[in-house]
Amino acid sequence: MIDVRELDALQIDALREVANIGAGHAATALSQMTSRRIGVNCPEIRILRLEDVPEMIGDPEEPVAAVLMKMLGDAPGRTVQVFPGASASRIAGILLGRENVAFPDGFGELEQSVLKEVANILVGAYLSALSDFLGMVLIMSVPALAIDQAGAILTSTYLNFGDDAEYVFCIDTQLTVAEQDEPLRAHFLLVPDMVSLRVILRALRLG
Amino acid sequence: MPDRIFVRVGELAVARADSILATVGLGSCVAVALYDPELRLGGLAHPMLPDPSMARPGGNLARFASHAVPMLIERMVRGGAQPRRLVARLVGGASMFEAFAPARDPLGLRNVDAARAALLSAGVRIAGEEVGGNHGRSLRFEIGTGRVLVTAVSFPDVLL
Repeated sequence: MIDVRELDALQIDALREVANIGAGHAATALSQMTSRRIGVNCPEIRILRLEDVPEMIGDPEEPVAAVLMKMLGDAPGRTVQVFPGASASRIAGILLGRENVAFPDGFGELEQSVLKEVANILVGAYLSALSDFLGMVLIMSVPALAIDQAGAILTSTYLNFGDDAEYVFCIDTQLTVAEQDEPLRAHFLLVPDMVSLRVILRALRLG
Repeated sequence: MPDRIFVRVGELAVARADSILATVGLGSCVAVALYDPELRLGGLAHPMLPDPSMARPGGNLARFASHAVPMLIERMVRGGAQPRRLVARLVGGASMFEAFAPARDPLGLRNVDAARAALLSAGVRIAGEEVGGNHGRSLRFEIGTGRVLVTAVSFPDVLL
């Protein structure tokens, strides 16, 4: 078991770089899908108490769309993509050729499936870049989508998978979609299992 | 405006009439609301795991339903409540991503069961529940009236 609080600066930098490579590919894919410029923030390594998870990306009561996938293969874990209402609505709108899709009421089967497909493509791009860079086999599961309160979704992505009950870890990369008025954000969270964190650090010769 | 107190994951709070105890974004966590109607004293706990068997020793025991319930009862009694007058309401315990939750015994329901067991062994009656399912919930516990309002995305409000 690795204690995430003991990661050193060099290891954190390396993990950030890994996320950058993955997110860069994901952003290119999203950009091609939506014909929009996509920005990628510098990935943040988040090490936080489980109690602080509900607020980690903002208001815990805010309705968001989130797509959860399991990461399988050499470094098991999860990826969670969180689309705040405005982003979910706009991305579904662009891909369905509509002005906007009302959120959350307008998200029927078709709109939900569009969002899952977007997540599929983003995670595919992210993980294939990571696989190449780390020399690992990383496979993703089918996606599960939830439209619900951010806090409920975020705690559930940790609590149900046997994580440490004290401190948790994730690599959070914000993608922004350029729009006329205000950029839309989405979070791409990579949550490796604790054993996988060690596997990844070893592949980087830092563990 | 009544005083509103937010109870975050792993916290406990006790308040008197004119206050609202609130908790937002409950997924598989369970919220336990206790009320002494005569004294109009209310308490709220927000544990996230059934018991400490899944965690390292030490740390905040109010994170566990098995411990949060007796801790909250004790705080209520210190505030003057009578244990036999207490009534409980439970909210939460969902399985947010059902496809990935174990088919048997998902965490949310284990949290609810642990809270029920702790209430039963303390002899506290459960007056209402809004638990299980696959959606998140928020609640506002109005101490003046003892009512618990449960809200959710895309689901109607429930008054317990």
